[in-house]
Amino acid sequence: MNTFQRTVYPFTAIIGQEKMKKGLILNAINPRLGGILIRGEKGTAKSTAVRALAALLPEIEVVLGCPYNCDPQDLAHLCEFCRARLKAGRQLKKTTDQVKVIDLPVSATEDRVVGSLDFEYAIKCGKPRFELGILAKANRGIIYIDEVNLLDDHIVDILLDVAAMGINVVEREGISYSHPAEFILVGTMNPEEGELRPQLTDRFGLCVQVEGVMDPKERVEIAKRREAFDADPRGFIARWAAEEQQLRERIVSARQRLSMVNISTEMIELIARLSLEALVAGHRADITMASAARTIAAWYGRTEVTEQDVYEVAELVLSHRMREAPPPPPEQPEEKQEQPEEKEEQEEQVQEQDNTDQPTDQTEELSPPPEQTNGESEESEPQEEDKQEDEDGQDLDSPPPAPQEKVFNVGLPFSIKRIARERDRILRKGSGRRSRTRTASRAGRYVRSTMQRGNNDLAFDATMRAAAPYQLYRCREDVAITIETVDIREKVREKRIGNFLLFVVDASGSMGAQQRMVETKGAILSLLLDAYQKRDKIGMVAFKGNTAEVLLPPTNSVEMGHKLLQELPTGGKTPLSAGLAKAYEVAKAHLNKDPDISPLLIIISDGKGNVSMGNDKPLVEARHIAGKICEEERIKTLVIDVEKNGFLTFGLARELAGALGADYYKIDDLKADTLVQAVKQME
Amino acid sequence: MSVKKVYPFAAIVGQEELKKGLLLNVVNPKLSGILIRGEKGTAKSTAVRALAALLPEIEVVSDCPFGCDPDDITTMCRQCWERAKAGKELPRTRRKMRVVDLPVSATEDRVVGTLDIEQALKKGEKQFEPGVLAQANRSILYVDEVNLLDDHIVDVLLDSAAMGVNTVEREGVSFTHPANFILVGTMNPEEGELRPQLLDRFGLCVNITGILDPALRVEVIKRRAAFEENPEKFALEWEAEEEKLRQQIVTAQEILLQVNISEEMLFLIAQIAIEMGVDGHRADLVMMKAAKTMAALNGRTEVTEEDIRQSVDLVLLHRMRRKPFQELDIDRQKLERVMGGHNAHIHAHSHTHTRN
Repeated sequence: MNTFQRTVYPFTAIIGQEKMKKGLILNAINPRLGGILIRGEKGTAKSTAVRALAALLPEIEVVLGCPYNCDPQDLAHLCEFCRARLKAGRQLKKTTDQVKVIDLPVSATEDRVVGSLDFEYAIKCGKPRFELGILAKANRGIIYIDEVNLLDDHIVDILLDVAAMGINVVEREGISYSHPAEFILVGTMNPEEGELRPQLTDRFGLCVQVEGVMDPKERVEIAKRREAFDADPRGFIARWAAEEQQLRERIVSARQRLSMVNISTEMIELIARLSLEALVAGHRADITMASAARTIAAWYGRTEVTEQDVYEVAELVLSHRMREAPPPPPEQPEEKQEQPEEKEEQEEQVQEQDNTDQPTDQTEELSPPPEQTNGESEESEPQEEDKQEDEDGQDLDSPPPAPQEKVFNVGLPFSIKRIARERDRILRKGSGRRSRTRTASRAGRYVRSTMQRGNNDLAFDATMRAAAPYQLYRCREDVAITIETVDIREKVREKRIGNFLLFVVDASGSMGAQQRMVETKGAILSLLLDAYQKRDKIGMVAFKGNTAEVLLPPTNSVEMGHKLLQELPTGGKTPLSAGLAKAYEVAKAHLNKDPDISPLLIIISDGKGNVSMGNDKPLVEARHIAGKICEEERIKTLVIDVEKNGFLTFGLARELAGALGADYYKIDDLKADTLVQAVKQME
Repeated sequence: MSVKKVYPFAAIVGQEELKKGLLLNVVNPKLSGILIRGEKGTAKSTAVRALAALLPEIEVVSDCPFGCDPDDITTMCRQCWERAKAGKELPRTRRKMRVVDLPVSATEDRVVGTLDIEQALKKGEKQFEPGVLAQANRSILYVDEVNLLDDHIVDVLLDSAAMGVNTVEREGVSFTHPANFILVGTMNPEEGELRPQLLDRFGLCVNITGILDPALRVEVIKRRAAFEENPEKFALEWEAEEEKLRQQIVTAQEILLQVNISEEMLFLIAQIAIEMGVDGHRADLVMMKAAKTMAALNGRTEVTEEDIRQSVDLVLLHRMRRKPFQELDIDRQKLERVMGGHNAHIHAHSHTHTRN
């Protein structure tokens, strides 16, 4: 029915990528394997392979005229429609059909996925009718999601729910309906763009990692074949038809053999052992591995699962379910006992070794004792900073001439747990992946309807409800329901958008003590990476010496933030109040420009302010400004305390957080895997 | 109609890479677009607008909103296809390829097209109103500041660009129409980068900077002044040059299909892609197409190493693997080494050949 049906590149003509091809074929043989997730860089034939697979799938038997492609043999899973026909004593007519590959575009709305009210029919005939969504079309077929990691969260929820139950239950827009929805989920993703939620990952039976082919000969062959295909698609397909047919037959015979394949107890034990070794959660891995092993045995034409089969599928099944082993006990315990005071440095060195991708030498990082830096003051001239940085690059081995300012390296990044703003009622444009908000665009979840006309995003159910009471008096022309402009309601939608994150970084001398700055920079880098994945806008204010400076005005360029972070020198006093004041200024200015997006201030400091702008004592002044920021409701704050736990903890940052009405974290609290979602209420 | 005169393409000083990239795309729309990265005031927009004047004429179905090609049944919209199948003569006309603007503030509706829902509710029928993508079919779609565009609109754009089809799936409408366009985007990297996934979908990419040679800068000012003083006269002065370019494009399009690429050149391309560490295989494919187009543009039907050399920057720049936050750049020395190494290889090869 589609006029420009695209010609599809043949599956057998794909070069290399054996694992991916095997995974797809296994799914074609045994649809109960639970689909496949293909992770990999761009341009590695991911999509090509999935689309090509459709042409290979054997035909299935379906009930003639059933919109859900019910299986006439499987009476337990019939849809209402077929069941009613059976009850009425009528025969279910059979026909065969190709297995369908249904695309689920990342931009798909919820109503297209689950289905919705057919308004055309409703208006013409005055009766509700369910219009099928993607899930209905995909029953007994394949749902293909390109860039599955970019899918809206609420669509992911629906998919998970339906995939688990095999039934799509629709309760929306005044209709309540359910139909069978069993499908193979095939997704592709590029991990650079952010990871998938573990629940969704686990739903995919198999997972493969694909990479570009590195052999020049094969690459040339790839280019040549693609060129030949582009020049004459039909001729190319015809040339590969025989191979395609062969593969198709092999799949069919493997399918038939599948039910006869045996798996011995030893093999099941082996599977259980492998799962345990990989520390997988739950039992889905074991079950999938067993059926995958049987499937591959059938593929090889055997009826008995061998050890080889199990090992071959283990990688496909376990790679995405594997969990990290708990960290080994701290290294070199004896040495630590001998020299307990060097503990800090030891740890840093371990970190340095890990941090091999940071090219600069870290010898300079070994900071002077804290007392020295703490006492130092106000010699921060910009020119000197530059010089200092240059020197840093050159004389790596000579001991530093007791500098007041240093440029610390950036510590290792870690994954950040979710930090988001509370929901409110403001409509926002734009996109992103952090906070939920009412959205002015037409993507997002339909939460309720409104009479306000904004973007022509009509809510049919509400519109019809509004029109219903007047039907008797309105004249009808060819339609069952007459709708007038006053009846029209629009949808209010909710989705995640990016935020504006303003980093307020303490770059004073005290931050240099005990390598704090390395760790702090690592934490900021992690937040920046997180900001990139959530498409946030960022800005950066740093304070040291006597003043605070806007290092980075609000921008989308996270790269710039990182560059500045690397160059950020540390040293001098702590003008905490000046930093807060500057941050307040930037946030206010941004609010004026873009009143809908509320800034989130992320203050990274130990809170030990020791310089004031006016005559008040530093800490008093800081608290005063903090109070002011607290009053501005649109600005949210978050304090990250970098003070290490020790004999002398001042807890000043915590006090500051109190004055700001801010959320308070220790650096370690930010790590996604160390804390149970204490920020849950912020989502 | 009195159109405001556009600055002639041929009169743009310098920016050879940019001009080359645009011409390549006009000759071969399968190169899937170009991304122009650069500072403000570097003739980005001027070049794209000027390109419009050089575009060749195309044959279209005169009453088709998508400007279908009356001779190519595989890319037609539904209506044209049905008519053609029914054996009806399609009314034809010739028009220039267009440059269709996509403003950054565009909503998804405007881009993919809309359903007139109010009408639909009142009359009970669905009516689709084509958007910018429909207009851009078989033309150039120009997105200024593409990095500021809403993410999901960029997704839609690239999806359509990749498939040549725009699919609208929402609110119970599912509608498809052809959308084969050349995507030209500009961006200022200071305002934030594009996601790598999106970068990769642009076939070519060029980084442009202001000209540093004082003599050339003076020339820029002079020409601009002359143009502003009397656009008609200025355009007339450059008409001959423009015509030459136009002719070059037409010839290149004619011979493009006959351009041949040898095994050796394919190996060189693969070698470059591997050594330079690009992700995936899209770079190879685009490099091959670009080299062929380059050969056509140079009036040859055999791809030479020079063609590859000339197009390699355009293809590789945005595909270099980089750590998060790194800036885009090509390791030129390495590239030279790869190409040089290949040279030696060729020589050795031809040697053995002669000896045999």
